[in-house]
Formats: sequence, C-alpha cells, structure tokens
Amino acid sequence: MQDVIHEAVKFIDLNYVNILYLFAVGFVGGLVSGFIGSGGAFVLTPGMMSLGVPGLVAVASNMCHKFPKALVGALKRAKYGQVDVKLGVIFGIFAEAGVFYGATVQEGIKRAYGDAGSNLYVSAAFVVILATVGTFVLRDAVKTYRSGNTDQEEKVSKIARWVQSINIPGTMVYFKSLKAKVSVLFIVPLGFATGMLAATIAVGGFIGVPSIIYVLGAPSLMGSATELVVAFVMGLGGSFKYALHGFVDFRLTAVILAGSLFGIQLGAMGTTYVKPYMIKFVMGVIMVTVLFSRGLMIPVYLSKLGLIATMGETTVKVLRSTSFAIMVFALLVGAFIILRAMFKGRRAERERELAEQGTLEHIYINK
Amino acid sequence: MAADYSQVKKPVGKMVVFGICSAIIYGALLSYQGFITAYFTRGALYAILPIAGAFAISYVHGHFTGYFWSVLGIEARKSAVVRPRPEVERPDRRERTQPQPRLKA
Repeated sequence: MQDVIHEAVKFIDLNYVNILYLFAVGFVGGLVSGFIGSGGAFVLTPGMMSLGVPGLVAVASNMCHKFPKALVGALKRAKYGQVDVKLGVIFGIFAEAGVFYGATVQEGIKRAYGDAGSNLYVSAAFVVILATVGTFVLRDAVKTYRSGNTDQEEKVSKIARWVQSINIPGTMVYFKSLKAKVSVLFIVPLGFATGMLAATIAVGGFIGVPSIIYVLGAPSLMGSATELVVAFVMGLGGSFKYALHGFVDFRLTAVILAGSLFGIQLGAMGTTYVKPYMIKFVMGVIMVTVLFSRGLMIPVYLSKLGLIATMGETTVKVLRSTSFAIMVFALLVGAFIILRAMFKGRRAERERELAEQGTLEHIYINK
Repeated sequence: MAADYSQVKKPVGKMVVFGICSAIIYGALLSYQGFITAYFTRGALYAILPIAGAFAISYVHGHFTGYFWSVLGIEARKSAVVRPRPEVERPDRRERTQPQPRLKA
C-alpha cells in the first residue's frame, strides 16, 4: 500500500530558492494568523502546488504546520489573557468532525465530477462564504470606526444575546470569554461548519472567528485568540489522519514552520497594540480581497465542466495567475495593515510613557 | 517603552542556545532529507514521527523566535501581559465568639 502511495506522490527536491519562498510565505501567513486567528494557510497550499508539490501532499504538509503554529500563537496570546481554552477545545472537537465530513464530501465530488468539479465546489464555497461573512465583518469594522466608539467595549450582538438567553438543561457550559453560560448545542453546528470550511478552503477561521464573535458573543480579541486553540485541535487530528497515509512532507512543514513561528509571535504581540475593531477590519479586508481571487476562477472551472463555452489556454493561464496574485496581495495587504497598526500603537505607547515620565520628573523637581 | 526595555535584561543567552538548537535541527533535516522523508512518510505507526517532529520544532524554534523578538526590543504592550497573582496567605479562620447566655436573676 505504502509503495503505491509513494509511486503516486512525488516529493519535490528542496533547493534554496524554494526554501526562501516557503519561509517568506510562512512568515506572512503566520503574521496574519497570529493577529486574526487564521487566514495564513490559504496561500500556502496553492503556493506549494506552484512549486510542483502534489495537491494532497500540499494540503497535508500545510495542515501539519498549522497545529504547532497555532499552539505557539495560542500560548503567546494566553499570556495576554485573550484565550478561552474551554471554548476552543469544545469548538475544536466539533470542528474536527466537520473536517472529516468535509474531506469525505470533497472526495465524493471529486469522484463524481473530477478535478474541475472539486475545484468549482471549493471556489463557489469561497465566494459564497467570503461574500456574506466577509462583507458583514468589514461593514461592522467600518461602522465601528466611523462611530468613533473604537475605545469602548464591544457590544454583544443581538443574536449572541439571544443565544446566551436560551437555557437547555444539561447542555449549559460557562465560558469566560462570553462571561455567560451557553448551550453546547449551539457550538455543534458552528464548529462543524468551521471544520467543513477548513477541509474545503483550508481556512476554517473565516467562519470560526466571526461565529465566536457574532453568534456566541465573545470580544474580537478573544474570538481570534480562541480560534488558535480550535486550529490546534483541528490541525492535530487532521495531520494525524494524513500522516497515517504518509502524505506529510515533513521538510515542507518544517520550512514553513520556520517562517510562520517568527510571524505568529509578531502577529500575537500586534494584538496588544491595536483596538479590537482592527481584528475585524483586517479579517474583512482579506476575506473580501480573496473573494475576487476565487471569483475569477469560477468561469475557468465552469468551462472545464462544459457548462459554458470553452476558454482558450491563454485566458485560463491569465485568470489563474491573476487569481493567485490577488490571493498573495490579500495576504500582503493584511500583513501591511497589521504591521502599520502595530508600529503606530507602539509609537503611541512610547509617547504616552515619555509623557508620564516627564510629568513625574516635573513633580520630583518641583518638590 | 524604549526607556523601560533598555533597563530590562534581554534574553540574549537563551536566544543563542535555542537558536543553536534550532539550527542543528534544521541542518540535520536538510542534510538528511532523503532518510527523513523515507521514514516520515511510511504511514501507519510512523505517523507519530511528523507529529512529534512538529511539536519538537514548535518548542525549540518557537522559543528561539520569541526570544529573538524580545532581543530586538519588540514586545507586547506591558499592560496587556496578564501576570499570575501571587498567592496571598489567608489568615486562619477565627472562631467567632458566641454570645454566652446570661441568666438574669
């Protein structure tokens, strides 16, 4: 069996250019993940595939780098009191179930409609989810910014207040991030959907973080930090599943991890300098930008399935390159906003401390 | 912030130790690529190898990257770090003096 796998799976030769490329993508991905809880992984799988790594090995190696990265990020953010471990673990267990189911659905679609059908399903999921959730998150962030209430404590959404008001005996659990008891039955579909999305587009956090914030009622900082625990639980189970079949190319995992562990520490520290709405803003911007990237690919897959007129090879190539470029652009924009917000926050903090020092010296001299 | 961090001792030694360990791991990984790939992709019980390897890297390289940013002076906002509260010894429970029944004759 293993010989068959090894014949089917081709492990690429790693040269210095490949290593540097994976390190850099890992760093930017880690930075974004450390800040918004997820989001860095979606460029890694196509990024590895562009080097010639088979799809399955790319997904497996990406998954295997995700859980240790999430662990480091979660530990870092736990120091800032942002992590709700209990919520993350419960959410993660149901997400794990979603990952396994999502992978089965993917396999079924691939068997029935081939690669084009599977890719169309992935792109359609991207577009539908990113269009609805991404626009909602971005609108909320912009609304908060415009209202000028960026320093105030975030309001719990109406739906979250309703969820917290429902009492189903025997299922109620207290979560410190929500400062309330919530029925686990509400977490089941949210976790499951997060896992399914993770199995489909590699970024479950695009559903996980907004649902923890808007449906359960956690603050943005805690929502994004708790997602790291979810990613750890999900990633660990998923990696083991792929490793059982020998699909993890550990060299790729290790090289990406080398970059992403630098990034995730920086992203996690960045959250301590920004106002909570920035988490939503960065997430919304990335989601909406990626939406265009995947949207561009839909006609390509429709054409391959014969549902629209056949496209020329050049057109397909141009659309594919543009789509990948937009994805990379989305990640870079996210990283830029995070670094800018972080350095602005650091500068403001330094000025505040200097001003305090000056005031103290003034008092001391006058004495 | 800069003023404060300049007074705090930077973890240069720890960064160097974890940096060297990290370099050794990555050096070995890249030098013995074929051997490692052969064992780590055997599947079945060998599935534990990539998982354990990922944990090991996250520990060693994770510590190195954390100390690396600290040495560069890039730290989280100090007020954001939650420090565990020192346990305060509680005074022994005092027995409440019960009112004594008095007989007024």
